[in-house]
Amino acid sequence: MVDEASKINHDNHLLLDQPCLRLPYELLRKNFRSAHFQFEKESTFVKTLLKETANGSLNGKTSPQDVVKNLDQMLAKMRGLKRKLTTYAEEENRLYRQIDARVAHLHELASVSTVDDVKYEAWSRQRLDRLLVDYMLRHGYNSSAISLADDKAMRDLVDIDTFVVMSKIRKSLEGGSVQEALAWCSENKKELRRMQSSLEFMLRSQQFIEMIRANSQPEIEAINYARKFIQPFHDTYPEEVKQLSGLLAYRPGTEPATYASLYSASRWQKLADKFVEEYLKLLGLPMVPLLHIALSSGLSALKTPACHSARSQGQGGVAIKNKSSSAAAAAQNGSNDTTTEPSLSSQPRQHHGTASLTTRVCPICSTELNALARNVRYAHHGKSRLLEHDLMLLPNGRVYGKARLDEYAAKSGLESGRVKDLVTGEVFDAAEMRKVFVT
Amino acid sequence: MDSSKLDSLLEDLSSVHKLPRLLAAADDVDKIIELLSTAREHVAEKLDPHTTSLTMTKLQNPIKTAFEKVNDDLKAASASHKKVGKSLDKYFPLKPLPTENDAMANQVPLINRAIAMHLLREGQFSVAEAFIQEAQADSPHERSDDFDHPMDESVEDAGAARSTTPMLSNDDDYDLSSLHSKELQEKFAEMYTILQELKARNLLPAIEWARANSAELEARGSNLEFELSKLQFVWLFKGPGVNRLPDDQHNGWAGALAYARQHFDRFQERHVREIQQLASAMVFAPNLPESPYKSIFSIEGAFGDVAASFTREFCSLLGLSAESPLYLAVTAGALALPQLMKYMLATRAKGTEWTTAHELPFETPLPESMLYHSIFVCPVSKEQTTDANPPMVIPCGHMLARETLQKLCKGTRFKCPYCPSEGQLKDARQIIL
Repeated sequence: MVDEASKINHDNHLLLDQPCLRLPYELLRKNFRSAHFQFEKESTFVKTLLKETANGSLNGKTSPQDVVKNLDQMLAKMRGLKRKLTTYAEEENRLYRQIDARVAHLHELASVSTVDDVKYEAWSRQRLDRLLVDYMLRHGYNSSAISLADDKAMRDLVDIDTFVVMSKIRKSLEGGSVQEALAWCSENKKELRRMQSSLEFMLRSQQFIEMIRANSQPEIEAINYARKFIQPFHDTYPEEVKQLSGLLAYRPGTEPATYASLYSASRWQKLADKFVEEYLKLLGLPMVPLLHIALSSGLSALKTPACHSARSQGQGGVAIKNKSSSAAAAAQNGSNDTTTEPSLSSQPRQHHGTASLTTRVCPICSTELNALARNVRYAHHGKSRLLEHDLMLLPNGRVYGKARLDEYAAKSGLESGRVKDLVTGEVFDAAEMRKVFVT
Repeated sequence: MDSSKLDSLLEDLSSVHKLPRLLAAADDVDKIIELLSTAREHVAEKLDPHTTSLTMTKLQNPIKTAFEKVNDDLKAASASHKKVGKSLDKYFPLKPLPTENDAMANQVPLINRAIAMHLLREGQFSVAEAFIQEAQADSPHERSDDFDHPMDESVEDAGAARSTTPMLSNDDDYDLSSLHSKELQEKFAEMYTILQELKARNLLPAIEWARANSAELEARGSNLEFELSKLQFVWLFKGPGVNRLPDDQHNGWAGALAYARQHFDRFQERHVREIQQLASAMVFAPNLPESPYKSIFSIEGAFGDVAASFTREFCSLLGLSAESPLYLAVTAGALALPQLMKYMLATRAKGTEWTTAHELPFETPLPESMLYHSIFVCPVSKEQTTDANPPMVIPCGHMLARETLQKLCKGTRFKCPYCPSEGQLKDARQIIL
């Protein structure tokens, strides 16, 4: 039987992996732009100075001593350029190495055609590890991310540096400092302008607000700052600029809501969020962790109405956390086991004597994901999909496949002609069973 | 079979390391430095205006050429980047991911918990430790990620089948401190130790564990303890030549027999037939490969099999699935994502909204291996059965959803839509699949 759904459509399977190849490319370009900018700057300087010096020396205005001085200056610039270009070249090498590693990683998938191939599992596990590192980095759990990446020897497959820089600046904003973010803005001035980003204006405004907050009277310092850094934004953000100037009149602890909100400490968190948004946007990265996207889609695809059903908890559900019922279930199973720690036993009890034989515990029913999946939709199915055949109805209303009932009866050492409910453990006469048909 | 875009992409990108790089530009700056240094030496040596102006005039063109060279290098490096970009655009065009209405945004504590458990069950103990520490440090001042686009709570709540209690009141049940990560870690450390021993073909720790948990395993209908003991018997039976254990009375034919005498008693009742087989097999001892019992004594793969059963049972007793749910969910997520995106694209174009709150409005086919519950779709209403609309069996044995049955009813009687028989509503039974 060919399971259509287990075939891998390679062109459609890598939606989550787009940033994996896109980011190194974006970084290559960004790195190049910086290199090119340095080159333009230093070469223009040297070319101009060289011409001036040559002319000056020709018409006798520049002494040989000054020529030497100028040449030294040019040499210093060029040695600096050499150093910087070398650094950019090293970064470029690193990025090409990343691309190579990622291409090799995707190559492994290209050779697999179905999800049942064992090679697919290995690949998909590595993808999970990548998504986990992405998630950790985006939340600023940097040591965990680095530790996982190193454990799995996959540094070239994940983007630690990119996110470490981001979380450093984010944390500095959360801690009430704009310097790091402003430096980043000036590094990426052109791109931010193209994106029509308001980030720099927001940062400048905050700096201005802090200056006023720090001093008891409107200082010449703050006014000068505003002239220099706020005024240029007047045409773009006229309303906001007007409001800011009002701060010179309304001190911290002021009544009018508009001004009070400008003094609010929550603005720092907003700034941090805004920065993260612009940072991700600039690099073409998704706004939310890839793991979120995978989980939203995956939890729904796996979820069935049974996973949070009150009724069929026997299917391995841990949805109901009723200690007395689980204790009863345990007693019913004749289990006097007291070795399990109480905290652990409170949840999994329902599984004892339940998911018997070879049924597998459903991932949505498993403790890890059950609560997380509670509020997502369950999968849509156009037709029945049954795990078992030859369904038999027991007198208690539960339905099982005949093969599994027989196997369980044998394993439980029942006399012939008797069957045992796989969930409740009740024993019935086989004659009491009825066949059930699914059309 | 036509080759996929992925193949073309990978082929294109596999040669990028040969493309010109920035390093050439850095190297060619040396030429400028060299020219400038030489000129400086000349000028500094004489410090005479004539030589100086001559040197400086002669310097102009070579410097210009050298700068042009560096500029060309930069252009070449940039062309390389553009080539990469072109391949990406052609064979891997950017499809924006669905990031609006991120349903997971306010679930960070639960996601963290799932990740911590995943790391523990995978035996990544040091990563788990670092993660739990960082995640816990992060949680007190929980950031409101959805500040700008608050989640539509009503829609989300409607999706909960039986969420009478709001999520928050259960919060301490779900955060990392309730994870008892130390205990979980100890449990999984125990599992890994036993698996390690199994890998080294030492069954004894696994047998010991199975014996300690025999009541629960039996209740699950698991034969793990017997399977392990049986394999131990066979393993000893093979003798020192195969098992490399000391060649003494505890090994080989005699050792196996002694082991059986000592341990098989407790299995007598349930596995009498298999034990008889083992005993009979001993008769064939000198010539086992030709005997009808050779399959029992072939241990190829047997250690892998018991290791898999052991992992499954161990996790089950903890209430956990044998495979990492996080792994399964993410894999299923990648498989279902194309459908989700297709649907979102279509509905965005039409401006329609998702209508069914409980159920996805489109199919996300998953392979058989990812099916964990039997799904019953009522053949009449085409609806999946739920708690509110459960499956029913009518006297002729056919299954229908309850709402369908209610609609079919004329008074208290109905006719089966699939066979000629008729029934009474009171004879229909609600079932649990």
